[in-house]
Amino acid sequence: MPSQIVTLTVNGSPQELIAHPSTTLLRALRENLGLTGTKRGCAQGACGTCTVLLDGEPVVSCLVPVVTVDGAEVTTVEGLADADGGLSPLQQAFLDNFAQQCGFCTPGMLMTSCALLRRTPAPTRDEVDEGLSGNVCRCTGYEPIVAAVLDAAGRTSAEVGS
Amino acid sequence: MAPINPRVNPIDHDYFPHERRGSFSVIGSTVQRADAHGHVTGRTRFFEDTAPRGLLHLKVHRTTRHHARINSVDVTAARQVPGVVAVLTHEDVPNNWYTVLRLIGIEPDDEPVLAEDRVLYRGEPIVAVVAETEEAAWDGAGRVVVDYTDLPAVLDVEEALAPGAPVIKQAGTNYFVYEGHHCRRVRFGDVEAGFAAADHVFSWTYGSAPIEHAPTETTGCIVVPQGDGRLRIHSNTQAAFFTLDNTALIIGRPFADLQVVGGTVGGGFGGKVDVMVEPLACIAATVTNRPVQYSYSREEEMQVSSPRAAERIVITDGVLDDGSIVARKVVLYVDAGAYSRHSPYGTTKAAAHFPGPYTIPHVHIDAHCVYTNRTPSSAMRGFGVTIGDFALESQMDRIARELDMDPLELRLKNAYRDGDVKAHRKVASGTGLIEVIQRAADLVGHELAAESRLLSSTTPREG
Amino acid sequence: MLTAVLVPESLDAARAALADEARPLAGGTYLMPRLNDHATPPTRLVSLRRVGLDGIAVTADTVSIGATTTLARIEDDERLAVLHSCIRSIAARPVRTLATVAGNLFVRQPYGDLAVALLALGADVEIRGGAGPRTLPLDRMLSAGLAADELVTGVRFDRPAVFRYHKAGRRRFNSASIVTVAAVLSVADGVVHDARVALGGLAPRPLRCEPAERALVGRPLDEASVRAAAHAADPLIEPVDDAYASAWYRRRVFPVHLRRALLGH
Repeated sequence: MPSQIVTLTVNGSPQELIAHPSTTLLRALRENLGLTGTKRGCAQGACGTCTVLLDGEPVVSCLVPVVTVDGAEVTTVEGLADADGGLSPLQQAFLDNFAQQCGFCTPGMLMTSCALLRRTPAPTRDEVDEGLSGNVCRCTGYEPIVAAVLDAAGRTSAEVGS
Repeated sequence: MAPINPRVNPIDHDYFPHERRGSFSVIGSTVQRADAHGHVTGRTRFFEDTAPRGLLHLKVHRTTRHHARINSVDVTAARQVPGVVAVLTHEDVPNNWYTVLRLIGIEPDDEPVLAEDRVLYRGEPIVAVVAETEEAAWDGAGRVVVDYTDLPAVLDVEEALAPGAPVIKQAGTNYFVYEGHHCRRVRFGDVEAGFAAADHVFSWTYGSAPIEHAPTETTGCIVVPQGDGRLRIHSNTQAAFFTLDNTALIIGRPFADLQVVGGTVGGGFGGKVDVMVEPLACIAATVTNRPVQYSYSREEEMQVSSPRAAERIVITDGVLDDGSIVARKVVLYVDAGAYSRHSPYGTTKAAAHFPGPYTIPHVHIDAHCVYTNRTPSSAMRGFGVTIGDFALESQMDRIARELDMDPLELRLKNAYRDGDVKAHRKVASGTGLIEVIQRAADLVGHELAAESRLLSSTTPREG
Repeated sequence: MLTAVLVPESLDAARAALADEARPLAGGTYLMPRLNDHATPPTRLVSLRRVGLDGIAVTADTVSIGATTTLARIEDDERLAVLHSCIRSIAARPVRTLATVAGNLFVRQPYGDLAVALLALGADVEIRGGAGPRTLPLDRMLSAGLAADELVTGVRFDRPAVFRYHKAGRRRFNSASIVTVAAVLSVADGVVHDARVALGGLAPRPLRCEPAERALVGRPLDEASVRAAAHAADPLIEPVDDAYASAWYRRRVFPVHLRRALLGH
């Protein structure tokens, strides 16, 4: 079967790309669209490193043939900051809490956390543990990551409150 | 809003107050990481984020055998896969030897880049296939046909050293030879005399399995031929210059022909110092004059990237009734797997680390670096030391239990102090173990005897 | 190598596409890992994402769930609270957003915990093939399989009064099963009147465990009857070694987890 055209809205911008049947959403983002912030970890759906938001929900993009999601909205780590490059409260909380070591899992952690905070704006520690359970950090920096998500939740609710 | 950071630990001023000079400006304060902004925005460039035009992909045909002679290799079908542009065998590798330690004089060279007439572990690479897409490269690699004669495999360190064991290494021994000796040795005092003088002799065995680093980013590189004929290597190696030197030796080109772009590593933990992918990618880039990527899949990372060595450790201690350890004998077997990589060095480190941070008058250490038909092991976080410490400290706890002693008191009694002569004839300095134990006891609410409180690592040992 | 990924927009179109030597692709969480990074024969996939088989219908007595409904959607539906402990025990949210109900019926153990739950719930499977629609009890479908031209279109079960679900994994969240136990029990006057017990992690497929059920019915639900049920189940289970646990370990701890599932401690 020939390659085909796929249309996506990525970080708010309409995008068109030519996809081979074997092109996953992960590869489309990285290779067709040059959005290399999303990382390939295992290509098995096991590590969460390639997590992006697909129509608002977190998915492991390595398991999604991109032709099956033609027309979808996708948000990647590049879409978290505002147009002027200002960090989101979640990104700032990751920065301030030293929630990264090698940085390779960070984009996936951010996207999963982003989705978690949308579903559960004021999560408990336990809910954060459960929410991040699909994202592997092999530097084992989980504690500061959990702290960052809880911190971000506090900042967001403070902003809403004021 | 002020940054929140609850994890800045204050400096402990209670110990060694006269050693503090001046005031610290970094320790004890919050300093943001230089790379953090790139990490949270996705802008940090890892090697795979390089996207050169015309990138080819290299995948490897690996053996399914633990130990076998290669009778023939047929790459005809691999070459016929649409999209395959090059197929490389050992004949295409100018100097077909990996030896990451050759630059510090450790020999013999023992590991081919691509297998020639034999394979020594499951997953050993035989043929590299270079193609326009990853899929075509996998397909091509899958179509290589190798005819083998299976040989008996050796899968246990002590079986490898037993008389009559099949010799799996071309150098003639299933162990690394240290300056003519069958193991790395330390001799201090007279351990048998120490055992004879002891009230108790305790001997226990400890073992560990191989441990895979499993970095989130698998091992890989992209090599880009430059207009001037040089090769630019984008790599996630933990050791850029090591990679440059070893790659140049293998591909038979001057060091100055290579440029390594690295330093950004998606998790290494010691697993990315072995220089396994860059040489083949450089050869493929040279043959095709196109950029080439060679990255491990997750399965390859688990199966063939070198793990921490499995170790087996027998510790025999002569101990007095009061807990003084007067003799310690350690026999260590490091499972190097099929090839040396960093294991001869790790084994030496282990020999140097025993008998642990304790002052013992009679010490005897035999550290064997043993070859088996398992995945070659290599560096990982404190290799040679970590498993040894597990064994040593387990041993200390067991001795304390046998003597009905507090395990911290047992350690304090034997802890080395400044001025003690260690088993390697070095004079200990800056030890601090006693103070660390005292503070650790405080932190967990563990009571120590009054005389233990008075001990200090700067007070010379009596007698 | 993937040679085609078709995305039909109706069930009939999907069935027509599948007739051309293709494999169905639901969430892809089991199939795609086996296609990524491997040399595979030329493979054609038919995605079921757009065939219109997702949806949840709940009445006072019954629950119907479309085949391609994602686990995340069940998790978000308060009416399906009975399934939530099961759903949350499966993988993690970025995988549950893809994984589907029907897909979960076909994965090998120690995956497929939802299939274990549905087995205990006595679910029926709605199937569509060339000969028209048919309905089959889940345990029959698991043992007999489907005809080549058939697809699962949904599952249906009666809402239970009490549903028990317990899964032991390698860690608290996001682990495949070591032992999974799901059960629907009715207890009146201190005696078990009816029991359906299903097990995961203990055989290649989810197991409906009738000997354990017989050991419970007519007896009080207590340590003795649960021990008898575990004993009765023992000849049925055929656990295997895998990266999560050894067969020996699974068999050894199964009675403990059956007790925790049925007695709560």
